[in-house]
Amino acid sequence: MDVGIPSTAGPMVKAEGVHKRFGRHEVLKGVNLEVATGEVCCVIGPSGSGKSTFLRCINHLEKIDNGRLWVDGQLVGYVQRGEKLYERKPRDVAAQRREIGMVFQQFNLFPHMTALENVMEAPVRVRRETRATAREHGVRLLDRVGLASHLDKYPTQLSGGQQQRVAIARALAMRPKLMLFDEPTSALDPELVGEVLDVMRQLALDGMTMVVVTHEMGFARDVGDTVVFMDDGAVIESGNPQDVLANPRHERTRAFLQRVLSPTPKPS
Amino acid sequence: MSDIVNTTTTERPDALRAVPVRHPGRWVATAVILVLVAMFAHMVLTNDAFQWGFMAKNAFAGPVLEGARNTVLLTVVSMAIGIAMGVILAIMRSSTNPILASIAWVYIWFFRAVPRVVLLVLFGNLGILYARFEIGIPFDWLIADLLNIDLSGRFFGFDARTLISGFVAATLGLALSEAAYMAEIVRAGMQSIPQGQVDAAESLGMSRSLTLRRIILPQAMRVIIPPTGNETIAMIKDTALVAYVPAYELWFQLQGIGSRTFQVFPMLVAACLWYLALTSVLMVVQHFIERHFTKGSRTDSARLRLARGGAGGA
Ligand SMILES: Nc1ncnc2c1ncn2[C@@H]1O[C@H](COP(=O)(O)OP(=O)(O)OP(=O)(O)O)[C@@H](O)[C@H]1O
Ligand SMILES: [Mg+2]
Repeated sequence: MDVGIPSTAGPMVKAEGVHKRFGRHEVLKGVNLEVATGEVCCVIGPSGSGKSTFLRCINHLEKIDNGRLWVDGQLVGYVQRGEKLYERKPRDVAAQRREIGMVFQQFNLFPHMTALENVMEAPVRVRRETRATAREHGVRLLDRVGLASHLDKYPTQLSGGQQQRVAIARALAMRPKLMLFDEPTSALDPELVGEVLDVMRQLALDGMTMVVVTHEMGFARDVGDTVVFMDDGAVIESGNPQDVLANPRHERTRAFLQRVLSPTPKPS
Repeated sequence: MSDIVNTTTTERPDALRAVPVRHPGRWVATAVILVLVAMFAHMVLTNDAFQWGFMAKNAFAGPVLEGARNTVLLTVVSMAIGIAMGVILAIMRSSTNPILASIAWVYIWFFRAVPRVVLLVLFGNLGILYARFEIGIPFDWLIADLLNIDLSGRFFGFDARTLISGFVAATLGLALSEAAYMAEIVRAGMQSIPQGQVDAAESLGMSRSLTLRRIILPQAMRVIIPPTGNETIAMIKDTALVAYVPAYELWFQLQGIGSRTFQVFPMLVAACLWYLALTSVLMVVQHFIERHFTKGSRTDSARLRLARGGAGGA
């Protein structure tokens, strides 16, 4: 698959003391994180710990209140001149966003468009590609995610797993240099999880830089280059998957892993 | 996949044979209604006040046809302006710019509060307020006084009566008031679109206006169209209020014939039939517009599945 070529050799994502408040509720309390180019970073942590919020800050769907956040060496949503920080104009924010693909837990496909139209929309309207080019690229991407025979189906005519694969193709159609995944398999029936993870695994092998919020510990262990454990709005622990998942250093990480890894008794 | 469907259809067991549930209540209700309808028809046909021949002759008189044309024209033009302004007002109202948002709020507040008849009579009498409308430098006479110069800052102007004819006054009144209602309908439609759609569009680098045009409004249409159909039907009928402006629409003409000939009742019936006919045409149009905008929705896929023949097709 096409993987955008990063402009610098530095980290793809760098967060320094990122804070985010909703009203008086402080959700992110100083997140520090670095994701190297080409790396797959899996973010795990309990519900409400701010994983989604942090992910949404990376492409400026949420404005950060404090700290600094860079993607590929550029401040996200702001420009710095001297000591002063200036907000970027909406069109500059949009320009930053098209380099960053995002995949949502609820897919968020455009229901009034077919699979192929979903994938072609942004390349045609935002990147100003010709319809022919966008179409050709879109068909190729949908083929790569195994949906070549579903080009003209509307989202409601597709299964959850198929919808999520369209959503991945739609994000890739913008030729992003970074992909963000927010629990991409959490809304899926168990038997559909595998097909989506397979697509993501292939993407990782192709060298895409990825930040993946997930509860799939198997995926984090096998595909992740690093695993980051977040709790209560901060990064508690990060490192390579073997260390973090098998020998967590922090008590909170250990408690969380015990909860998710121990098989819960099924209600009968 | 189609193989599976085929095998299931060919190997389907014999159709189920069961005695359908009886509905005796339906037969009783049908009988009662038939009797009532017969009584009504008898009354309508035998009562002299109806004057069917007179009605049939005058329902299509020259002035009435002209009135019907004006009614349609008034409805189309004022709905078109009303919808366009309504969309703009709805966007202003959900804007992050507080000035735009409050202007829209005040507009909607005012035009929903004032009855249409009052508005129409008001517009019909604008000529009292200003004899002429002129385009030029605002407050030019004040500026001239201030600088003590002789300044004529008027470029061109119209007589109020030529600019605001009965028809224009009527269109203006109806359109401006319609815009306020349409704004609320469009806003409700836009609010029915989940935030995830906006997130997805923005994460693809789409601008606010592109998101609005390509993602939000096309989906909101499904929610917007049925009440807009209602509004249009209400508008066809509200054009009758224009008789007060006056403008020569359908109701004005039918009433005219009725009072000139002292045959009020047949003309009332003619009016009912005319509005019924116009509204029915509109409902057909609405049906097709609705069908266009349900593309990809759940009801649409259900319809497609039914059309393909039952629950088997996937
Ligand atoms: N738009 C918002 N307005 C107010 N509060 C919000 C908003 N978005 C998130 N929050 C709050 O921020 C906190 C963190 O939410 P977030 O969705 O980032 O958690 P999460 O780690 O992704 O959890 P989950 O695993 O359940 O998805 C929660 O307490 C949530 O209620
Ligand atoms: Mg979340």
